[in-house]
Amino acid sequence: MVKVLLVGEGAREHAIASAICRSTQSPRLYAVMRLRNPGILDLCLKSGGDVAIGDSMDPGFISRAAERFSVDFVFIGPEEPLFRGAANAIEDMGIPCIGARREAAEIEMSKAFMRRLMWRHKIPGRLRFQAFKDLGDAIAYIEEYAESVAIKPARQAGGKGVKVIADFQAYLSKEKGHVKAEHAKAIESKYMRGYTDIEDRILIEERVEGPEYTVQMFTDGDSVAPFPLVQDNKNAYDMDIGPETGGMGSISGKGMLLPFITQEEYEASVDIVRRCVKALEADLGVKYKGVISGQMMLTPIWGPTIIEFYSRFGDPEGVNVLPLLRTDMVEIMEAIASGKLHKVKMEFEEAATVVKCFAPRGYPERRDLAAGHPVGIDADAIRAMGCEVFYGSVDLAPDGGMVTGGSRICEVFAKGDDLPEISDRIERCSPFIRCLDGWGVFHRSDIGSAALLNRRIEQSNLIREVYRYRMGKGLIGMEIDWIPGKGKIVHSDW
Amino acid sequence: MAGIIGLYGYDTAWKMARFIYYGLMALQHRGQESCGISTYDGERLLRECRAGMVDQAFGEAELEALRGWIGIGQVDPEPPNGGPPAKPSFAKCPLGLALACDGSAARALKAARERGLSAGDPQGALAALLSRELANGDPFEAIERIAGELGGACNFIALTERGEMIAYRGELGIKPMVIGNFGFDYGAVASESCALDVIGAELKADLSPGEAYLFTPWSIERRKVREARPRYCAFEYVYLARPDSIINGKSVYEVRMRIGEKLASESDVEGADSVLAVPETAIPFAMAFSNATGKPIGMGFVQTGRRVRSAIRPTQFERLVGVQLKLNPIRAAMAGKRVVLIDDSVVRGTTTKNTVKVMRNRMGAKEVHVRIGSPRIISQCPFGIEVPDRDELIAAHLSEEEVGKVVEADTFHWLSLEGLIEAIGLPRGSLCLGCFTGEYPEAL
Repeated sequence: MVKVLLVGEGAREHAIASAICRSTQSPRLYAVMRLRNPGILDLCLKSGGDVAIGDSMDPGFISRAAERFSVDFVFIGPEEPLFRGAANAIEDMGIPCIGARREAAEIEMSKAFMRRLMWRHKIPGRLRFQAFKDLGDAIAYIEEYAESVAIKPARQAGGKGVKVIADFQAYLSKEKGHVKAEHAKAIESKYMRGYTDIEDRILIEERVEGPEYTVQMFTDGDSVAPFPLVQDNKNAYDMDIGPETGGMGSISGKGMLLPFITQEEYEASVDIVRRCVKALEADLGVKYKGVISGQMMLTPIWGPTIIEFYSRFGDPEGVNVLPLLRTDMVEIMEAIASGKLHKVKMEFEEAATVVKCFAPRGYPERRDLAAGHPVGIDADAIRAMGCEVFYGSVDLAPDGGMVTGGSRICEVFAKGDDLPEISDRIERCSPFIRCLDGWGVFHRSDIGSAALLNRRIEQSNLIREVYRYRMGKGLIGMEIDWIPGKGKIVHSDW
Repeated sequence: MAGIIGLYGYDTAWKMARFIYYGLMALQHRGQESCGISTYDGERLLRECRAGMVDQAFGEAELEALRGWIGIGQVDPEPPNGGPPAKPSFAKCPLGLALACDGSAARALKAARERGLSAGDPQGALAALLSRELANGDPFEAIERIAGELGGACNFIALTERGEMIAYRGELGIKPMVIGNFGFDYGAVASESCALDVIGAELKADLSPGEAYLFTPWSIERRKVREARPRYCAFEYVYLARPDSIINGKSVYEVRMRIGEKLASESDVEGADSVLAVPETAIPFAMAFSNATGKPIGMGFVQTGRRVRSAIRPTQFERLVGVQLKLNPIRAAMAGKRVVLIDDSVVRGTTTKNTVKVMRNRMGAKEVHVRIGSPRIISQCPFGIEVPDRDELIAAHLSEEEVGKVVEADTFHWLSLEGLIEAIGLPRGSLCLGCFTGEYPEAL
């Protein structure tokens, strides 16, 4: 009897749990969770396992649970336990862990570390950047070089705190400069507050524009086993309007590709991630064992370009593809542990998928307002529609009721042949997810729609033309300026 | 008619006044007599209203004083009526709000009086009404109550002291209105998409007729408030809108190019040497006419001073000054030539006559064949476009041949109504063609 301990309490972990429980080896599932995720709880109990409720980010709590349940594998869902050394603690106990060691997980934790790694190893898809340890230096830089930039917390801060400013109109630069400086201050005082595990504080990157997509894969440190591509949608509201969220829903196409990404681009994307995994080993002497995802963008400068790395599945992106996985999860975990991932054949059900996230009103800006509402989810009715619900930020109360935790309540998954049809099917589930006190629940109706898809295809075609033109001119990955008095400046290395 | 815009920042660090200012500059063609901006700074509504053009009326000091990450603005073709300029309109109680409006709010006066609200002009009455109704509960129900009484020809954007922004497009959709977005930073609604372009925002969609958007600090909701009865204004495509705008899903530029093609197929001029446009609306008509007929296009006129919309100036004298300043002819483009002169509209015929006479009598054009990219304008517009009385509309009284003689053209042709409808490419039933036909979607 194989016993697996899963760490994490979101919809992504619910999807991982579900995939583990599909194994023909009927593993016993255990979980460490901060909240009682009803879906994960149910799977654990049905498989004969158990749960430990407590600080799911604390390596000590996790390893005590692993010891108490005497598990064979630990699968760490979210990034924060990895940053805190959960994988190191587990492996030091002699238990195989699916999840990167702290040193390797730095590829997600520190955006400055990631960029330096890519530049040092000359890996394609890298962006120009400056990292700042001091707020004053960052502001001085912003004032001097007011242009189109992305300003980010140097550390992964729960996906929050990134501001991308297109600054093309000189007549609006002053206002945008003000917002950039204010945002740098907010990064220091709000988003980076309490994080002492990193020296760099603020990262300023060149701004790029293009369609985004996520390439997720398992790795044992030597080879990679990729999943079908997924595309997430970050704006809170329909038509890509509204503030940034952790993701409001995502799509995947039939087969490995998205309708707007070519085979060549997919392979280039996988290769970039693979090269980064190898670069980590070369620099740190650590083999990356777990899940690694490239948050990619098709850009004029490179074609496939790294925006960020995840040391985990994306959420919601993982929820699109984990249900399609046909290869036995226990077999995959064994292969990762023994460094034989290249022998595993990754097989997926041939289907397109849509995931839509349902969030309480107030998310993402006012989680205080969004939290604490009793919520009802009719999972049977959703299943009857041919969809599946994965529970997110909800806590199961002792009386059996559920309460919102402030983030996305749940994610509804469906698969099929045709994205707009799948999207419509999920739309019909929306009455089944509601707050029982009348508080609003919202989701994006347009994810998977033909209109949104056409927009992405149009945008990709445009960007593809540009990067191919630049490729033809030998301009990939570089930019040439001519500055009076200084002459020609080639920005290809930095 | 007016130009209106509303911007809703998702981050309180934004200062939106300057974005609104540039957005209004992009909408300046929709109203050049007065302008105003109102913003919300988290505590209260601020407002600055001025007479004249946006870039002259607003300076650094005004923009700096207009704090806040949410705001609306309006440019208006009507000069302030006696009192100080006051658009966007303000209502103070029960709920403080500012309101920008495009189209006809005439019925708001009656609705306001019935509720015992004092109101000066229709737009002020609409602000007072909305203030009253919004104070009483659900915002969408409030909009629904008002929209029912307003008639379908009014668009508005309102900003409340609760930090909400409401955008509504009347169910007839006569006036255009679009929604867009800038990254994760702000949402935008505006009369035309060119205003979004100028401030770097991306056009997402037209508001459907009868549709309302409600922006709050933690949500954007869209609701169909009234059943759509689209009657999109055809004159927007001929003259009113900017060619870089996309309205009702149709590129204004493409429509104007098709109008030029229609003019060519309806009324080509055998043996003409050159095609010239009266700047600047008619330029795409002339380019397409030239492309379709193979007759070379030339540049016939240079404008002096700022871009002025001569047809919407309030007085005859100002219209004449506008036209004369706009049209300094280039002698070499027309002397000794048989010219096709293309213009966007003929209302009274006076400006066309002046132009043709100058071309022939002073510049030495051999022939002047006038082609107009608009069908005959024979009737007034009840929806806020300044069209003179029927008595003053030459097209309502004379045949093409007679007009040709009045303006002293060799030949004269108005675009056919069918030609315009085909050029726009929307079903006839979804267009308001009132100024060309005298038939309106609503009783006057």
